[in-house]
Amino acid sequence: MSSTLHRETLETAAFRAGYLSLLAIMLLPLLVVVVTSFSGTGRLAFPPESFSIAWYGEFLDSVRWLDAFTNSIIVGVGTALLATVLGVTGAFGQELEDDDGLLGTLLAPLVLVPLLIPPVILGITLLMYFNEFGLRGSYASIVLAHTLWATPLVYFVMRSVFSRFDWQQLDAAQDLGAGPVQSFVHVVFPNVKHGIFVGGLLAFIISLQEFVMALFLSTPGTQTIPVIAWTEIRQALDPVVSVVSTILVVISVVAIVAAVIATNLEWLSRQLS
Amino acid sequence: MSEITLSELEKQYGDTTAVEDVSVDIRDGELLCLLGPSGSGKSTTLRMIAGLEEPTSGEITINGEDVTDQSAYERNTSTVFQDWALFPHKSVLENVAFGLKMRDVPKEQRRERAEAMLERVQMGGYGDEDPTNLSGGQKQRVALARSLAVNPDVLLLDEPLSNLDKRLREDMQIELREIHEDVEETFVHVTHDQDEAFTLADRIGIMNEGELIQVGEPTEVYENPANRFIEGFLGDTNFVESEAVRVTDDAVHVETELGYELVLPSDGDPDVTEGAELTLSLRPEVLSIEQDAAADSMEGHEQPVLADGSTLNAVVGTVENVLYRGSTVRYSVSVNGTSMFAERTGANTDALTAGEEVRIEWEGDDVLAFRPDGSQVTL
Amino acid sequence: MTETPTRVPTSIAAVRERIAGQSSSNRALLLMAPLLAFELLVFVIPFFILLRISFAESSANFVYAEGTVSLEAYASVLTNELLWSIVGYSFLIGVVVTVLSVLIGLFYAYAIWRSTGLVKSLLLFSVVLPLLTTLVIRTYAFRPLLSPTGTLNEILLSLGLLSEPISFYPGTIAVVIGQLYIVLPYAVLAIYSVLATMDWHVVEAARDLGASRPRSILEVVVPQVMPGIIVATVISFAWSVGAYAAPGVLSSSLTFAIQVEDMMYGMRYPEAGAFSVLMLLLMLASIAIIFTVLNRFGGEFDLA
Repeated sequence: MSSTLHRETLETAAFRAGYLSLLAIMLLPLLVVVVTSFSGTGRLAFPPESFSIAWYGEFLDSVRWLDAFTNSIIVGVGTALLATVLGVTGAFGQELEDDDGLLGTLLAPLVLVPLLIPPVILGITLLMYFNEFGLRGSYASIVLAHTLWATPLVYFVMRSVFSRFDWQQLDAAQDLGAGPVQSFVHVVFPNVKHGIFVGGLLAFIISLQEFVMALFLSTPGTQTIPVIAWTEIRQALDPVVSVVSTILVVISVVAIVAAVIATNLEWLSRQLS
Repeated sequence: MSEITLSELEKQYGDTTAVEDVSVDIRDGELLCLLGPSGSGKSTTLRMIAGLEEPTSGEITINGEDVTDQSAYERNTSTVFQDWALFPHKSVLENVAFGLKMRDVPKEQRRERAEAMLERVQMGGYGDEDPTNLSGGQKQRVALARSLAVNPDVLLLDEPLSNLDKRLREDMQIELREIHEDVEETFVHVTHDQDEAFTLADRIGIMNEGELIQVGEPTEVYENPANRFIEGFLGDTNFVESEAVRVTDDAVHVETELGYELVLPSDGDPDVTEGAELTLSLRPEVLSIEQDAAADSMEGHEQPVLADGSTLNAVVGTVENVLYRGSTVRYSVSVNGTSMFAERTGANTDALTAGEEVRIEWEGDDVLAFRPDGSQVTL
Repeated sequence: MTETPTRVPTSIAAVRERIAGQSSSNRALLLMAPLLAFELLVFVIPFFILLRISFAESSANFVYAEGTVSLEAYASVLTNELLWSIVGYSFLIGVVVTVLSVLIGLFYAYAIWRSTGLVKSLLLFSVVLPLLTTLVIRTYAFRPLLSPTGTLNEILLSLGLLSEPISFYPGTIAVVIGQLYIVLPYAVLAIYSVLATMDWHVVEAARDLGASRPRSILEVVVPQVMPGIIVATVISFAWSVGAYAAPGVLSSSLTFAIQVEDMMYGMRYPEAGAFSVLMLLLMLASIAIIFTVLNRFGGEFDLA
């Protein structure tokens, strides 16, 4: 009888080995990126033959990369702002709608569908569209395209935040004489501001990473970091790409950590004490 | 029907011991209730019988066969979970037939048996329902049918009634009792509710802090609790601190915090030395409370001895408040500054009000005494 | 005219009353309006324009001939055998990556669900971190790992498992691995988010009733996480069929995305439009099939 238990112990061991090796594989490419950014030679090899920080210097000297960096930030912030406004108001409006009207039921699938369409098709579609209006190459065109992808995330985060909000508080505020705007500012907003912040951050990160739509829509003046990285990779492969990626990863991780700290400072302090 | 033996069962999670040295023989066909406060290790013990938890040490046998190393799916035990754990994506009938499916019973037979089980728990006709649409009581019945359908050696019930409201819970207790008599199988039922244990059990096992303190029939456990914890856990009582001042062959005289000297009669040779600290338990059902006609009759705190030789103890105090509890009224009484309580049944409620002088009496035989380590004193 | 002075105030009052009465739903509409307008202007209308252009004639001087209606572009796409083999290859990549991504995703999500403490945080971190890296870079990191002189080959050679290096990159294997790495985090998160709401007792109940470990997962876990599996499948499939970065960086094979980009840069807008529309239709049909098949295995799918 102990044989079955023995078999289960083996199963458990295999299960653990399975997910731990997956964990290693998941992190390996990121490790490659970070390690190769410190490569001593121009050849991309893992592990590198020697180490230096020369490529970081190269990055800081490159006007092209630094411009792309600025472009990425501009587009990212624009996307975060636009997606947050659209997502928050949309989710809030849907929550206020008592009986699920036709528009309300249409909204969720409509917002979701762009996420399921390959970015190449979206990129082509928007390129043709913006061409008609002469918007091609502008920051606005990239921001609008990225917002199409970022809004669903903000919207669904806010839907779940609003669904947990106690709406009687709003009734109470209006009962006590607060107008719609006042009650939102004083009652709803303080309860959902963490959700809004997280949604906005997600939108920013989506924009920072996205490259297919940006590739189609940008002109040399508005190229973002992933777009430059792409063209760079297709030509020659040098470790500056790794340097840029490492910096991007660090920015994203810092942003996430900042978000966790900002939203959960109280929780954190309880853990530390 | 089956006998189950637990010997020296122990379960540790890291540094904490959840279950410590539990040994018990569960008799064939009995309904044993494991009763204890939350965290007492009763559910862990049950889960070890089910095979859902692996004991750190010790042994479990079912019908003499050592099953300690068998995993849950090989043991012919069956559990009704606290939250019932019905499969939400399967119909009621599929839920009940699940165990039979796992045992490769042919489809037609499965359906017949499952329908019969649903009939048995008065859920006939609900087979096609979605379990998420059922009420708590109905889910409870389906979970019971699902567990009984596999004809288990032992049915394990992990507080399955605790999520039901009071009325339904009481109905289900009676029904569970009937089902137990009907199916003639061994049941082990875990609960933290004393009333439930007394209603259901053939025997009650009381657990605290991982240990099984006492196993016995309900009357035995109630009338003769092994220690002070059980006495306090089984029902409301007045614990009164005292010191033995005089020990004779047939009585122990104690000086109490109530300011009275009380007499505890003994069957002979009480196991108490003079000066010993004792905690007395005065249960409300043995106390009678009356308006005190002659408040000064208790001067000197002499306790009367009745004509038949038994001792009658009495104290005098002031009613502090009156609490109506439906069928009973509870009086909180201050006796020389110490609070105690006594009860009257509803029929007799008019007389006493707050501020009134009252006399509380009881027969000395009805008092239990415990040592500082919690063990009961044989008087 | 004499009535005017009295009529104006009453109509204002009536309007006020109407606003007060309908304010809740009006306000809801007002709040949803920007999002609806955005989706209409940046998503729905552009697709109609794509559709319109796909029915235009090609032009020698412009990207397409304005005001013309023809099936020329569709005809040229449908009769081009090279394009069909490209579509076939794209779907092959899509199917292989989807199957692997859902199976591995289910396994990994289950591991996250069952683990606790530091291990759980670490596993979740390993899923979220790749999402923070642009997929161009995630993909290119596989080059030094998979190339004939790369890390994997060196390890396999030094272990004696290979006598001569295998060229994973450039090639289909590298594309599948790279694309899998792109979609896997999303698949894991989609499945995990459903799994996280599941009651472990239900699995215990199945084990208790005689289901072995693999059987309890198949009978109880899989049907319940089906909504998550459906989302994971649809996302993995849609993104892999339309994959752009992985084939571009890790192989020289032509996929739909690379080919359609080529058409765009070749200024053949109607053809690119027609190819995109056809591809979208094929994908929608496949997704509908996936949806129907998976839904039969259990779980109601709720979009919101």
